[in-house]
Order: sequence, then structure tokens, then C-alpha cells
Amino acid sequence: MDIPVASGPLAPTTPVAPGAASPISERSQARRETLRVLFRRPAFIIGCLVVLGWVLTAILGERITPYDPFNDFSLGHQPPSSEHLFGTDRLGRDILSRVMVGSRDVLIVAPLAALLGVGAGTFLGLIMGFYRGIVDDILSRLVEAFLALPVILVALLTLVVLGSSPAVVVAVVGILFTPIVARTVRSAVLSERQLDYVTAARLRGESGLFILSREIFPNVLGPTVVELTVRFGYAIFTVATLSFLGVGIQPPSPDWGLAVSEEYTNMISGIWWPTLFPALAIASTVVAVNLIADSLQSVLTE
Amino acid sequence: MARFIARRLLLSLLTLWLLASIVFIIVNVLPNDVGRTILGPFAPQESVDAFNEKLGTNRPILVRYVDSIVGVFTLDFGDSFVNGKPVLPQLADAIGRSAKLAGLALLITIPIAIAAGLFAARRRDRPADRAIVLLGVTSSSIPEFVTGTILVVVVGVQLKLLPVLANTPRDADAITQIRYLLMPALAMAIVYFGYIARMTRAGTIEVLQSDYTRTATMKGLTTGQTLRRHVLRNALIPTVAVIAVQIGYLFGGIIAVERIFAYPGMGQTMLFSAQRKDIPMLTAGVIIVGIVYMLATLIADLIIAWMNPRIRLDAER
Amino acid sequence: MDFKRLDRVRRSATPLELDVVEAYASGRITRRQFIQRATVIGLSLPAIGAVIAACGPGTPSVAPASAGSTPAPAGSASAPPAATGGTIRCAIQKPVSIDPVAMQDLGGYGIVAQSFEFLCTQLTVGDPGGLAAGLATKWTPNEDGTVWTFELRQGVKWQNGAAFTAADVVATMERLVAAGNSGLKGVLEAGGAVATDDHTVTFTLAGGNGNFPYLVSIYNAQTVITPADYVAGTTADQRPDGTGAWKLVTYNQQTGATFERNPDWWGGQTPLDGTEFLFFDSTGPMITAYQGDQVDAIVQFDVLTGAALFDDPNFTLIAQPAALHRQIWMRCDTGQFAKKEVRQALAYTFDRQALIDQLFKGRAELGNDHVIWQGYPYFDPSVTQRAVDVDKAKALLSSAGVSNLTATLHAGQLQEIPDLATLLKSQAQKAGITLNVEVESLDTFYGAQWCPADPADPPCSGAAELGIVDYGHRATPDVYLNAALKTKGIWNSSQYSSKEFDAAFSEFQKSVGVDAQKAACTKIETILNEDVPVGLPYFYNYLAGNSNKFTGVFSSALGQMSFSATSKVG
Repeated sequence: MDIPVASGPLAPTTPVAPGAASPISERSQARRETLRVLFRRPAFIIGCLVVLGWVLTAILGERITPYDPFNDFSLGHQPPSSEHLFGTDRLGRDILSRVMVGSRDVLIVAPLAALLGVGAGTFLGLIMGFYRGIVDDILSRLVEAFLALPVILVALLTLVVLGSSPAVVVAVVGILFTPIVARTVRSAVLSERQLDYVTAARLRGESGLFILSREIFPNVLGPTVVELTVRFGYAIFTVATLSFLGVGIQPPSPDWGLAVSEEYTNMISGIWWPTLFPALAIASTVVAVNLIADSLQSVLTE
Repeated sequence: MARFIARRLLLSLLTLWLLASIVFIIVNVLPNDVGRTILGPFAPQESVDAFNEKLGTNRPILVRYVDSIVGVFTLDFGDSFVNGKPVLPQLADAIGRSAKLAGLALLITIPIAIAAGLFAARRRDRPADRAIVLLGVTSSSIPEFVTGTILVVVVGVQLKLLPVLANTPRDADAITQIRYLLMPALAMAIVYFGYIARMTRAGTIEVLQSDYTRTATMKGLTTGQTLRRHVLRNALIPTVAVIAVQIGYLFGGIIAVERIFAYPGMGQTMLFSAQRKDIPMLTAGVIIVGIVYMLATLIADLIIAWMNPRIRLDAER
Repeated sequence: MDFKRLDRVRRSATPLELDVVEAYASGRITRRQFIQRATVIGLSLPAIGAVIAACGPGTPSVAPASAGSTPAPAGSASAPPAATGGTIRCAIQKPVSIDPVAMQDLGGYGIVAQSFEFLCTQLTVGDPGGLAAGLATKWTPNEDGTVWTFELRQGVKWQNGAAFTAADVVATMERLVAAGNSGLKGVLEAGGAVATDDHTVTFTLAGGNGNFPYLVSIYNAQTVITPADYVAGTTADQRPDGTGAWKLVTYNQQTGATFERNPDWWGGQTPLDGTEFLFFDSTGPMITAYQGDQVDAIVQFDVLTGAALFDDPNFTLIAQPAALHRQIWMRCDTGQFAKKEVRQALAYTFDRQALIDQLFKGRAELGNDHVIWQGYPYFDPSVTQRAVDVDKAKALLSSAGVSNLTATLHAGQLQEIPDLATLLKSQAQKAGITLNVEVESLDTFYGAQWCPADPADPPCSGAAELGIVDYGHRATPDVYLNAALKTKGIWNSSQYSSKEFDAAFSEFQKSVGVDAQKAACTKIETILNEDVPVGLPYFYNYLAGNSNKFTGVFSSALGQMSFSATSKVG
């Protein structure tokens, strides 16, 4: 596509500095330096802590929850108290416990969808950007078409046709993310391929595939990693919304999006805690992931 | 310019064809006894067969494909599975309502976001800038249904400032309509503020750092004049592009907002159609939003080309 | 006991009426059950009042006047309140179909019942469950309940001006029989309804049936009377001219419908000018709408979603004990639940009271794994109520040679059913039974788990091994017994087939007198409680309501809200 239409909220500006032909040790040193810079940014640290926190609760699950999130029923709709820090839901289950295990489904489905999208997208973007010509033209048209599809609506349609299982959710969200990633990677590759080291490699007689994988790919890693993190955030956002709409994760899972959809009408009558805490959990996770993405972008691409 | 427009239009039609094909594949990819699903478990087998006949689900796939594509280009999406009446007229009403809501959301968010982005860019790396970036990152991370719920509780119930449901009474005047739509519009505006503000900021920063801006300053133009004559035009290019893209996301977020505020727009219709497995309705919705998105990007590209002649010439090469 | 008064009634009573009067006089049925039975068999309201007055001290003054004066719906002697104007806005679930003959959902029932009417309608004073005069003013059975004669109301006009006659009733009945209406199936056959003159219809039934008027009443929602030349398949908005108090003005399948007063209605002028219905996909937004003051009444909601309404002082709750229930069906012919002991074991894990407390905050009645609701006059309370007994469950499982029972519990996404599944899972675990809950959208569920189309014969033979399905309120258990439990019943997902049960059901259908019906019911209850083809933990109350700004709102337990006597307060 000839006109530089921005691809998303965090379109990378310039790619990582050249130096791709340097030996391995220099690269790992550069990586360590990058990490050091990252960890000096408070936004990055906060983001990592929050995400790690939720991952931990997802893994440890019932072992660390104050009550059994599935089988412990007491009085319904108790407000937050010292016994139940987040109160109880309509069936009397402890909300803190449910929020803690509610991260599980979304933290499996969202990363898988993001990985699928970034994996496929990077592959496509590399091919399109490097080989150009007819392949690029056709694939670009396809990418344009996919980009025009409204994610939630198409997900709705597909989940209706195929039924809403986690596998379908992963597949749909992943496939719909692919074109966005492809576009980002493609424009990164476009800038790279004009640089001297690529011409040098070509003159050396290296094959296209070699150049692509050994020379170009490491240099577009920066924007790709940023894309991955951004997509991860979007994936959580999208999966939560689909669960809220009733076509994502199904009951009786304690999934956050689902929890919000089950009791949001009660907020009006003053029973805010079954809805607010899962909602905050979603918000905190996506914000944290975006903070990480933002830091990565500043460090890796400028 | 005419050649440019013509080329863009042709590309759009091509994209539309691809879009329609993708949707066709999704809908026809699995064997689905559509007749049985709609008529339910007690319908006699003859009615199911008759229904399937009427839908034509037993015709060869190529015939159905051609039919479907022709239908998209003539805007004929067939009859709803739920009531057998044509899909488009039923959808048109709902789309109009959603468009009103989306329009209000954009009207609120675009000026504020652009102003914020410009403001932040000029005070780069200072506290005000960091605050705005942080605000942008945070607000765009919160799903619309979360913001919507919080707004309902705080503004609608506790403070009783605005009506809790967006169901405008019939024949209401403009002011009343805005009152009813304000909260759902805000719920969406908050999310899109982040993207637009950050994109404006990024675009402005890049332009401010560029050579020709420095040239302008050296020529003796004040910051205000520089801003107006050079920066704005070019800085807003990415913003215009982003807004066009957001229109696609907007119709996704609007479903959640319409659910919370019980607004009978396209989102609610789509949800209902999903529950009833009304596939023609869903298909029509997807394609129409797709068309809206393509129109939006087309217009955005035209605006950008007008704003920056270099890009237009580049494209015509 | 005022014997003189009682004797007067006795002397003019038909054998059927006598039977009911005697049952009440001797205390075998309660006053509430008497009113129900009596109205069904067509005893006139003044006579009912006389019997009640005659039968005892301490009966509150249910004088003939008040027993007979139901407000506008029955259109009797009481003067309608002065017109106060205004419109009431009502939240209702989105109708799937408003084809009067084919409609299956509460949304449809509610909308159609605004413009169209029934032969017999809801009794709105005293306890619910009885019948009042609708388009029919009087109905009498013959001696063995095989022929029922209905006298139609005079001077009724269709909204398009044509006169209402017996021909319309006959045509409607033929249409319903042809469509296989589940309430009339096996009771009324083609040609069974005959117009003996312009205002009398005689129904000759396939066999004696003491409950027939219920089957042509508001409780059999599809039996709204439509004009003689109504074409089957027409929907109420395509041809809106009914006999009812409200004229359909606008109908938008997505958003709602509006009605205006029918100035020529036989019941007089309605106090309100019009009604407006707003359609919703789920209960949550309905509650939100009510609290946002955008609707004034709600057609049906569930306890957990509408929790806030119970504490709202400005909300008038309409809570009717009803036969609404859920059936937890278990395949009796194949699979892990084929043995009776296994089914009983599962039933013994149900902590019914806990379910009622958690899911309905007490607004439900205990179910005893059979479909005879305690609100039916022929309910026999002598069958022991099954209570939770985990040890017994374990014992039954081991006697059946089953250990580590693991099964998938299927449920549709409807109201409290997913929560019920969650609670059942947790309760069953105590006896070592592992249930994996799978929830699907309602449409998928019906067609995939409950009654798949294949194989078509016997019906529902492709059903899942274990699942939960919903049943709406019926004024008689005929539909439950016939469709869900009789051999080869059309909704028999458990594939239950018992000769004893089928015989008991036949006996029930043929019984006309109170004692006979009760005896048959005792057999039914005992057999079902023993065989447990379906677990039935509760019958829950029908909940609806309106804002205090309006009075005189009535509702059946089938989503039919009546506003013809509603007026705005202040």
C-alpha cells in the first residue's frame, strides 16, 4: 500500500540501529543493556509486577485463595468485609477468590491468540516486505480486506457458526490480528531492505531466505516484540468483551468478563462489588500490559 | 488527483469483493443444518427440508458463492431467518441509531484528543506530557463495558445527572437526545481518546523535530505561525488515519455499550441475531461495517492526499 | 354451616358441581381449591359465594358480590374506575413469534394477549388458579365430562367492526387442532367443536376430561380466539384485529410495540389511553430500565437479577406461586442413569431447601421429583417429601454397583439454570458423584441436548444422558404428564416408559370428580417419586411487578400482563 496509513496506536517510527552483522556476544551485550534500561523505567516495573501477579494467582489458583471459589456457598451479596475482602456474589461465593482464579482462562486464551496473530503476521509481513512484487500486491489486498472486518462482529459471527469454545476464540482472534501485525512488520522490513548491509548480503550471493532470517528478522525484532505485547493487551481486551457479550468463555467459569456480564445490572441497586472487582482486574491487566508495551516501544524503537 | 481517486476507488471495490468472500467462507465453512436450527427440534422433517430448499443450502457451493457476492454488491442480503422479512430495511433503522451514538462519541473525543496531543507534544517530556501519555495509555486499556458500568453507577444512579438508559423517547428534540446518548458516547469516547491523543502527539513531535519546521523557525516565523502553517497539516496526517481505523473498532465497542445502556442500535440487533442464529442479519452487519470502514479509510486517504501533495504524487507514480 | 343455603345450591347443581361442593363442605379440599375447581367446571360465581358463605364461620366475607366482581377482565357488574388517561410502559422479553397459533415464548404470549382474548380468562380476585368469564360467559359439562357447552358473550365486536360469533370460535379450534396444539392434543379432535347457534359452542371431547375449560383458557396461551377467516401463519401484526381492550398501533420486532385503547371493547373504557411495550433480550437491562424510570412494569424477572426490586418501596411485586419448574432429566433407557437406584441416588443429593434459598431467596416451593404442583387441587401431600440424604445416596450407588460416577450435566443459558447446575454439581460431589457442567445458548441446547431432531422416532431419543430443561406454568399438569413423561411423549427427553405410569395418567385424564382425580394423582406422584425419571427440586414463583404509580395490574404466570383495569395513581 503506497500511502502511509498508520497501522495502530503505537506505530513504530524507526527500526533498531544497524549492526546486525556483529558477532553474537555484541548482540547479547546489547540485549543486557536494553534490559537494564527497561528496568529503570517505573512504568515497565509496575506493568511487569501486575502481570506477574495475575499469572501467579492463575497458576497457584485454589491453593492460595482464602475460600474455595467453586464450592463454598455462604450468604449471597454480602458487602466487602474483613471476612470477605471483596464481598460475596449472588450465590454467596467469595469474590476475591473468584477474581484470583478468574485470570486463568483469559491468561491462556489471550496469549495464545496473540502468539498466533504475531506469528502468522510476522511471517506474512516478512514475505510481503522483502519479496514485494505480485506476492506483496495480492497479500496486501487480502490484508486490507481483513483489516476492514470489524473484529468483534466477525468474532460474533464465527462463534455463532462454529460454537464458542476456547479453541475457536483463540483461532478467530488470532487470525483477525494477523493483518495488523503483518502490516507493521512489512513497513519495518521495507525500511530495512534498503539499508547497506542488505545490499552487501545480496552482493555476497546470499539467498533471499538467508537474508530474511539472518539479517532482516533480528532487526525487526524490536517492533515485533512491541507488537506482541500490544496484541496481548488487545487480546485480553477482546476476549473479555466477547465473554461479556456471552459468546466467549462460558459459565460456570469465574472468568472476569463473564463475571461482569452476570451481575452488572445489580450495580444500579447498590450491589457494586460483584462487578467492580472483576472489571478492575481486567482494566489493571490491560493497563499493565500496555505500560510494558509502551516502555518496550520507547526503548527498542527509538 | 482524479487518477488518484479512481485508483483508490477501484482498490476499494477489490477489497469489498475479498471481504465478501471471506465472510462467505466463514458462513459456509461448516455443514450446518440451518433449517433444523431455525425451526427447532419439533418441526416435521418436511418443513425443515422445505426451509432448506427455500434458503438454497443444498445448491452447489459455486452457485451460492456467486449469489452471495452479487448480493453484497447490490446490497441485497436476503431474508432474516427469524421473521422471513428482508434484512436490510430492518438493519437500516438500527444502523441509523448506532451512527448517531458513534457520531456523538467522535464529536466529543476528536477535538479534545487532538488538543491534548498538541498540548503534550509542545511540552514534551515535561510532567504535563507524561501525565497525558499515561492518561492515554490507561484510558484506552479499559474496555468500554467497564467504563460504561462505572459511568452508569456514578453519574446515572448516584448523581442522577443523566438518564440511565439510552432509549430516547420518540420525537424527542436534539437536546433531549443528546442527554440520553451522552453517557454511552462518553464510555466510548474515553477509550478512543487515548489512541487519538497519542497519535497526534507522536505526529506533532516528529514534525516539530523535522528540518522544515526548523527552517520555518529560522526564517523568523513565531511558534504560533509555524504551528498553523506547517505543523498542523502534517502532524494530523497520522491522526486522520487513526480515526479512520478507529471507526472499525468503534462498531465493535458499540455492541458492549449498547448492551449496558439497552440502546436499540446495531449492536443489540447483532447480539440478538447471534442468539437466534440469524446468519443473514449477522452477515449483513459485518459487511456493512466493513463498507463503512472502507469508506472511512478512503475519505481519510483523500484528506491526507489533499493535505500533503507529496504523498499524492508519490502514489500516482 | 348454613344448611338451608347449601341445600339450595345442591338442589340446582349438576352431578359434577355437586361433587365439588360436597368435597368442600366436608373439608376434603380447601376453600382456595374449591374456588379453582368450581370456576373450572362452570359453577356460577354467585353460587360459589353462596356455598362459601354457607359453609362456615370464620370464612372472611367473600360475599357473592366481591367473589363475582373481578375487575374489567371479566367484564361483570362492577363499574370500571373513571378514565384517568396516560400510558404505561412495560418491559417484556423480545417475542420470537407473534403467530397466535405457533408462538412458544412468553414475549409472544404477552403481546398477543393484549389484542386477543380467550374463552376463559384469569380469576383476578382471591387466589389465583381459578377461571373467570372471558369471551365465554358460562360453561357446563355433561355428566361424565365428555361434552362441554360454552355460552359466548353477546355484543362483542372485532376491532375491525365485524361481530364476534361462534363460527370464530369453531374456526380457531379447528386451526389449533390441525396445528397439533399440545394442550388440546388427545382431548379435542377435528370436528369436535360445533357451533350450535351464533353464541353457543359445544365441544365433544375424545374422552371425559374434568379440566377442559383450562385447556381453552388463558393458561393455554395459543388458544386466543381469532376471526373465522384468519389464515394460519399470519402474525398478530399482520392482522391485528382482535376482540381485546387494546388495538395494536405499531410493532417493531427489534424495539417494541404500542397499543391504544379499543373504544368498542365489551369491557368498557380502559382507564389508560394506551400501553407501550419495550423489548429486551435479557432480564438485566429490564431491571436497569425500571430503575432508570424508563419502564413502569416488568413482565417477568428472576430473583437473582431482580434482587434490588424486593427492597424497593416504590415497586409493587406480583409474586404468584406457580408451577414453573426445572426438570433434571436422566436417560432411563441407556447410559449411566438407566438403573433406578442411580437416579434415586442423584435425587438424594439435592439439598432442595438450600437451592430455594440460594436461587430464589425463598420464593419457591419444594418439589418432590414429580410434576404435581401443590397448587393443584388434586395434589396429594401424603407422598413423603424426599430430603437430602448423602449417606443414602452413597448406599444406593454401591447397591447398584456404581463407583466414581462421572457425567456431563447439560444446561441452557436461561435465568438461574447455570447457577442451578453449579449448585447441583457441588451438592453431588458430597456423594462422590462428579458432574461436569456444560452451558450452551438456549437455541443450541434445545436442538443438541434436549430433543435433537435425529432420531425422530421416538421423539427426543437423541437426548443427552443428563440435563436441565425449563417448563413454564400450566394450570393443569396434563402437558407435563403427556409430553415429558408418557411413553413416546413429544418432550420425553428421559425416554421414560412405564406402563403403570401411562395407566395412571389415563386414569387421571378420565377422572372428572375431585376424589377420582386425587386418587389418580396419588398414584402418579408415587410412581414418579419412586422411578425418578426427572429430578424436580422446586416450583418457583412467577415474579412480575410494576411501579406504585399504577394500580390494577394483573398478570398470569405465562407472561400475559393485563392492563385493562390499570390506572395511574395521582
